[in-house]
Amino acid sequence: MSGELTKAIAELEEEEALKLTKEKLDHGEEPQLILDESRSGMEIVGKRFSEGTYFLPELIFSAEIFKEITEIVKPRLRKDVQTKRLGKVIIGTVAGDIHDIGKDIVVFMLDVNGFEVYDLGVDVPPKKFVEKIKETNAPIVGLSGFLTLAFDSMKETVDAIKAAGLRNKVKIMIGGGQIDEEIKKYTGSDAYGKDAMVAVSLAKAWL
Amino acid sequence: MTIISDLDSLTNHIIDFEPIGRTGKCHDNESILACANRIGLGISSVCGERGTCHTCRIQILSGISSEPAPSEIEAFSPQELADGWRLACQVYPHGNCRLNIPAESMTTAQRLQVEGLEATVTPEPVIKAYHLRLSVPSLDDPQADADRFLETLNRKYGQHCTRIDIDVLRTISSRLRALNWECHATVRNEEVIAIGPWPSRQLGLAIDLGTTKIAGYLVDLSNGRTLASQGLINPQVSYGDDIISRISAVIKSPDSGATLKRLALEALNALAVSLCAGIGAKVEEIVDAVVVGNTAMHHLLLGLSVEQLALSPFTPVVRHALDIKAREAGLHIASGAFVHFLPNIAGFIGADHIGVLLATGISSMEGPVIALDIGTNTELSLVNNGKIMAVSCASGPAFEGGHIKHGMRATRGAIERFRIKNNEVQYQTVDEAPPVGICGSGIVDTIAQLYLARIVDERGRIKADHPRVRTDNNEREFVLVDKQKRHPTITITQRDVRELQLAKAAIRTGIQLLLEMNGFSEKHIEQVVIAGAFGSYIDISSAVTIGLLPSLPLHFFRQVGNAAGMGAKMALVSLAKRKEAQDIASRTHYVELTSAPNFKQTFIETNRIGRYRINHGRKEELD
Repeated sequence: MSGELTKAIAELEEEEALKLTKEKLDHGEEPQLILDESRSGMEIVGKRFSEGTYFLPELIFSAEIFKEITEIVKPRLRKDVQTKRLGKVIIGTVAGDIHDIGKDIVVFMLDVNGFEVYDLGVDVPPKKFVEKIKETNAPIVGLSGFLTLAFDSMKETVDAIKAAGLRNKVKIMIGGGQIDEEIKKYTGSDAYGKDAMVAVSLAKAWL
Repeated sequence: MTIISDLDSLTNHIIDFEPIGRTGKCHDNESILACANRIGLGISSVCGERGTCHTCRIQILSGISSEPAPSEIEAFSPQELADGWRLACQVYPHGNCRLNIPAESMTTAQRLQVEGLEATVTPEPVIKAYHLRLSVPSLDDPQADADRFLETLNRKYGQHCTRIDIDVLRTISSRLRALNWECHATVRNEEVIAIGPWPSRQLGLAIDLGTTKIAGYLVDLSNGRTLASQGLINPQVSYGDDIISRISAVIKSPDSGATLKRLALEALNALAVSLCAGIGAKVEEIVDAVVVGNTAMHHLLLGLSVEQLALSPFTPVVRHALDIKAREAGLHIASGAFVHFLPNIAGFIGADHIGVLLATGISSMEGPVIALDIGTNTELSLVNNGKIMAVSCASGPAFEGGHIKHGMRATRGAIERFRIKNNEVQYQTVDEAPPVGICGSGIVDTIAQLYLARIVDERGRIKADHPRVRTDNNEREFVLVDKQKRHPTITITQRDVRELQLAKAAIRTGIQLLLEMNGFSEKHIEQVVIAGAFGSYIDISSAVTIGLLPSLPLHFFRQVGNAAGMGAKMALVSLAKRKEAQDIASRTHYVELTSAPNFKQTFIETNRIGRYRINHGRKEELD
């Protein structure tokens, strides 16, 4: 039976995935194992997305399936066994910009790759990033922006983090739109990514 | 003599090509397409007159012609055939015929599109012109020239003019003397704004200032007739193709703002000179002007601040219409003339969209009617029962050929039509030049054809098992044109398909959410009006096939060309139309699309290729 759930999620078979989850629970399988298996399915989805096999609809659909599975499994999950996460990442679309689809993909990819992601949403003022860093001690911050004007907001956000004395405690990556090495330098961030998979490898390297 | 002319009328049929209004003689054994080509009127033909590509669709409005060929029976539904729809390459007239050539079937070389519907508006110009003959001053009658002028004008025509423009005043004495005290006075709102010889033409200038293209029209204000029209590329493109990059340039260096303003003005002034030269007039004869453009172009031209336009919540400096002295606006026409700027709607929906609503007359339709102008930014509005709701969609540069591997603008050598027939590719390029790339309408055609041929699936994935699909740099691509001596290989890559999916989803989402926010679904739509250059060249059935447009019968769509420029012309010749424009602006409610309910789900679902219906973020199969 092992691997079936992974496959169902990877193939986006919603009904099959939910049926398998319920069956597994009824057979007394460890909820944590069910989640791990689901996560493997999500990793395959992420991989297919970055290869170009899947696109946005598939990505979002898989996230919905995963959410439904989590909701079924959650009540049976033992409180003491917390999911082991790789590390914390704060993500948001910077002030003045309201594009979130690219950012959501990065959040998704980091999440399925085992990161604990704090998604601050869109049009996020620098202050909010600073507060979240203080609150969570997350060592990684991701700034998203699609508009070229967002580059100034990114720079302001990096400056605010610096002013709060937190710059050496976090690594900052930027992404979205037409970002390149020049813009990385301009904003004072540590790295930039062309797509969501780059964000994952950067975050893994920084841990 | 008589015999020859009779013979002539027996073998030649007079063909009236509408809506362009050209006529031509067609021989008995000549197809409509051959006739059109012979008289230099380009009708699309990708397949080389074999009746297979279906790009040369025309409609016979009246007249007798050959029976439908098998290929036409395949191309059209019985209803369409009954309505006179035919393939130009297959149909032979048997008598005089009147035809409708839809814009999508035409291959116009002029890609700086200026043509649109012709104005059907009663001239009611803002300016009025009066013939004056003044008494000659003498020692007995030493009245000031200006007083003499105003007194005569007011007495003879029952006017109450009190003001004379300062530049007119500066030259009034020498002019009146040179004209021997007989002149033509141009009056606007009780102010004399120009003096010319009697009789002189009262010319008006209408301008559609687009991000990429500028269209100008020289109009006779007395009868509303267009005397000349011309298009040119907006020289601001050197500061970036899109609005956002131009605004960024201004933010980075305030000098750029002045430069962008200067570039636009230089272009407008050059356009005015060139239009006047075409009809042997001088720019000083232009006594009124109207400008429409998107909000950013409007602001840049007027030297208004643009920074806040590009950042959430995207507020414009000013919304209402403006009347500014031409010299203050920097426009070199009659110095005392005014330039009228139509009102804006919001930061991303400008006066050009008001122009579209005005020109197409849909703002007064019961509806629901959808109007859209497709570009890097697509403006969309829904008219229903006097209310107008407008949204702006970030459709990106894909339709202009941007972010596409072999993409290009619709210029010489761009593939603009594409068909796959029996596993063979057929294409047509602008000016029938050797292919060098692919433009927006070609991209839409290609994706539609690849989808229909099952080479691209509903998700947009290019399948590997087709002889024309190859892998380059780990990326699948479909080869449209093989490398040859005269041209490079042209492909559509997996990434290109994704770009197009995002672009078309943005537009379809806008249409869908406008409907939902007003309590409608697609089946309620009465008409979809498509304005703008890209919208005129796009093949509607391809756009429907990929799900860019809702799946409605083709006659629901109306391609109106440069309606924004048309709207500017109407406002130029008619005061009532200016008032209507202001009324449209005040009736239009702008909504930020990304904050609408179901935005994300709808955007995700509309990434899919194919015909389907969307209902509150869920995809539904068609009945």
